[in-house]
Amino acid sequence: MMRKSIIRRATKAHEIPTASTADIAFLLILFFMVTTVFRPTILRILYQLPDAESTQRILMRRNVSYIWVDKDSKIYIDDHVVNVDMIAGKVGPKIWENPDLITMLNIDQGIAYGVVDGILDQLKDAKAFRITFATEFRR
Amino acid sequence: MRLREKKKHVHGIPTGSMGDVAFLILLFFLVSTVFTKDKGLKMLLPEKTADEKEVIVVPKNIVTLTINPAGEVKVKTIGYDEYLTIQEYDRIRVIIEERLLERDTLLVVSLRASKEAPYGSMVHVLDQIKLAKVMTADDRELRANKISLIPTSEE
Repeated sequence: MMRKSIIRRATKAHEIPTASTADIAFLLILFFMVTTVFRPTILRILYQLPDAESTQRILMRRNVSYIWVDKDSKIYIDDHVVNVDMIAGKVGPKIWENPDLITMLNIDQGIAYGVVDGILDQLKDAKAFRITFATEFRR
Repeated sequence: MRLREKKKHVHGIPTGSMGDVAFLILLFFLVSTVFTKDKGLKMLLPEKTADEKEVIVVPKNIVTLTINPAGEVKVKTIGYDEYLTIQEYDRIRVIIEERLLERDTLLVVSLRASKEAPYGSMVHVLDQIKLAKVMTADDRELRANKISLIPTSEE
């Protein structure tokens, strides 16, 4: 009796099932396709953001428009160098389309505050009241 | 002789390499993904009024922070009138917290930066204002939410 039962437990191949590997891979692809944002920033703009302890993350990325000011006080919007007076004209239509738009100000820390004030004034004209001063986390 | 049945071929797309293809695409997206990294200090600008009417605030509710072109800050409020160097910016937070406890939600912080002052200093001062928070006796969290940004050309 004993012997019989031992024989019956004969060899069974133990393998990890691989049939669903492709499905898993496709799931991961979908995740990355959905979350991927291709790098939109222009790398040639030289600026150093100030750091701040109370820095917060902006989660609504689709709702953000950007203004850059580099070390030489040049102002960039949508890949163009603009004058201070032109900012309202550029941002105004965007606000018209999406009133909840947050304007992200990427400004070099060495810029004189007068320049920043000029920009804020233009943003008020364009009714872009929701702004964010871009900063780095302070360690 | 020729009547022999032809061998049946099954015409199907080979699916054996499906997983490999999927992993290739996966790798591409893994490498090219940049997660969002927008961060900063949020502000709400005031609406421009046609007649630029001045809002009158009782002096005891105001903390005035004036930044000079060198980045030094002059703090002026009831009980304080002092100059802070860049190293002493932490004091701003302490002073605002004290005023918050006294004046509660009425407190207005007026940030007057000189037009020649570096933007970095202005952000550092703003950071200190945003960091200030106190808990009241009835368990409310108080922050200095009323901040006005005014440029100055004096000094």
